[in-house]
Amino acid sequence: MSEQWTLHVPPGADNDPVFVGVGEIPTGKFPERGFIQALTKVALLALKDAGMTPRDIDTILLIPNLHSAADQADLIFSRMVEELGIHGSCKSSYMVHSGGSTSDNAVRSAHGLIATGHAQNVLVLQCERWGSADLNEMITMLSKNGIPGEWELPTGIQFNAIGAMITRRYMHASGSTAEEMASVCVTLRNWANLNENAMFYTKPLTVEQILASRMVADPLHSYECPPMADGACAFVMTSTANARKRGIGNAVRLAGSGGCVSHYCLSQERDQAVLGWPLAAERAWSQSGWGPHDADIAQIYDSYAAVTTIALEGIGIAEKGEGARWFAAGNGDPGGKLPTNTNGGLLSAGHTGVGGGTALLVEGIRQLLHRAPPKRQVEDCQRAIIGGSGGSYMDAQILLLERTKLGA
Amino acid sequence: MTLPTIVSDFRNGLAAGKLLIQNCSDCNKPNMWPRYACPHCQSENLGWKEAAGTGTLHSFCVLRQGAPEGFEADLPYAIGVVKLDEGVQLAVRLEPDGPGDWSSYRCDDRIEFVSTSAAEIERRACATFRRARA
Repeated sequence: MSEQWTLHVPPGADNDPVFVGVGEIPTGKFPERGFIQALTKVALLALKDAGMTPRDIDTILLIPNLHSAADQADLIFSRMVEELGIHGSCKSSYMVHSGGSTSDNAVRSAHGLIATGHAQNVLVLQCERWGSADLNEMITMLSKNGIPGEWELPTGIQFNAIGAMITRRYMHASGSTAEEMASVCVTLRNWANLNENAMFYTKPLTVEQILASRMVADPLHSYECPPMADGACAFVMTSTANARKRGIGNAVRLAGSGGCVSHYCLSQERDQAVLGWPLAAERAWSQSGWGPHDADIAQIYDSYAAVTTIALEGIGIAEKGEGARWFAAGNGDPGGKLPTNTNGGLLSAGHTGVGGGTALLVEGIRQLLHRAPPKRQVEDCQRAIIGGSGGSYMDAQILLLERTKLGA
Repeated sequence: MTLPTIVSDFRNGLAAGKLLIQNCSDCNKPNMWPRYACPHCQSENLGWKEAAGTGTLHSFCVLRQGAPEGFEADLPYAIGVVKLDEGVQLAVRLEPDGPGDWSSYRCDDRIEFVSTSAAEIERRACATFRRARA
């Protein structure tokens, strides 16, 4: 197959959309931190990082939350426009939603809006309060997401069961051992130990500890399941022309993207150890003109270790069947061949629902802007592979980001 | 709430000890899960055929904690994805080897449909499979 997916915006063109700022607050359990309070905080942090004020923003894209329908309604009905004082001038505010891959689709949306002139300066906002929510309520809610009520709900399936089935199929297909799977979580923890915003910043983790933790859903141990967390982050995109006008010298652009929606419910996936990644990757490389070995970092959705190893193989970073052993050899670690999930990922920075993918994306932008704290900033970081997946791993979404000199 | 016919037909099949697959009366292709129009030819002329009840186990897990509301008493339980010999797939419950034990199961094992009582289907409207005896 040879599909051509041309990006109709040349690098450096006036309408080429660029990322110019990010904001984030700590991930973990913060019951006293309000939903709107957190959103306001990350909005202001991202705007400050971009050298902007709320009045510069004409479009707000909202990443949904999963903890509360009432809070969701506040987002949908433009509460943040008023909170930021831009009611009366803001052109458009709306939600983008595809679960864990929302951030990838939000970038595509913002990119299209800016490139075509529907938007000038776009603020993307995310907040989740999973860490403070009732755990049983969240488990039940998640047994209905990406799971058809009439066909599969009666089996008693839920998110850890889905992760466990993917993990088992991956281990069967690749011959990966329990130790090799656990090593993925250890790499993520090594990164989290360098990220003061991560839920497990101060807690190291070993393979032995993981394998000694209780079995939750065979073959997943409790330390291999994502910790539900509160978290919020934001980023700002504008056009190259606007960025130049503002005197911004370096920014981040989208070199290309690729995607594949491979199923709705997991039972309809033809190969749980492959998913949609190979086709998504082929489309992304075709659009960007660069490949897996040109990247300096990877930020790949990691609600379970196998979710990431399957993606790494489909993307072409690791050989087929070698994803877990790639991690066990330290390739994704700080100082490794390809630093992977440098914020600690969902498994160690914290799973903020739909926001887990957003946090990985924000970290990718931060690394490319060279604004990560020195202890985890990847030297001369120029290119990043961002990978997301939503629902029951229904889709594989890839964004290829690159640092760009604007020559203001 | 009234169940759509494709759902009640499928569940009535299970209650009668049969695993039904939706079959398109125009292109004759099997569909699973059942759909409102054939995903292959878009026909709305859809019927049923009884599955042979045999297939391979693509993957499975044993849930030991964190059951959704209403499933707490079932723990532990095993869920699997079956590739039926007819070429369609579905999620099922797996019969244990013994109480709380599914250690004999492996991916790609041959497995077979086990009929369950109408009362059990009333409680849990899903198919159950076990390792093939043949």
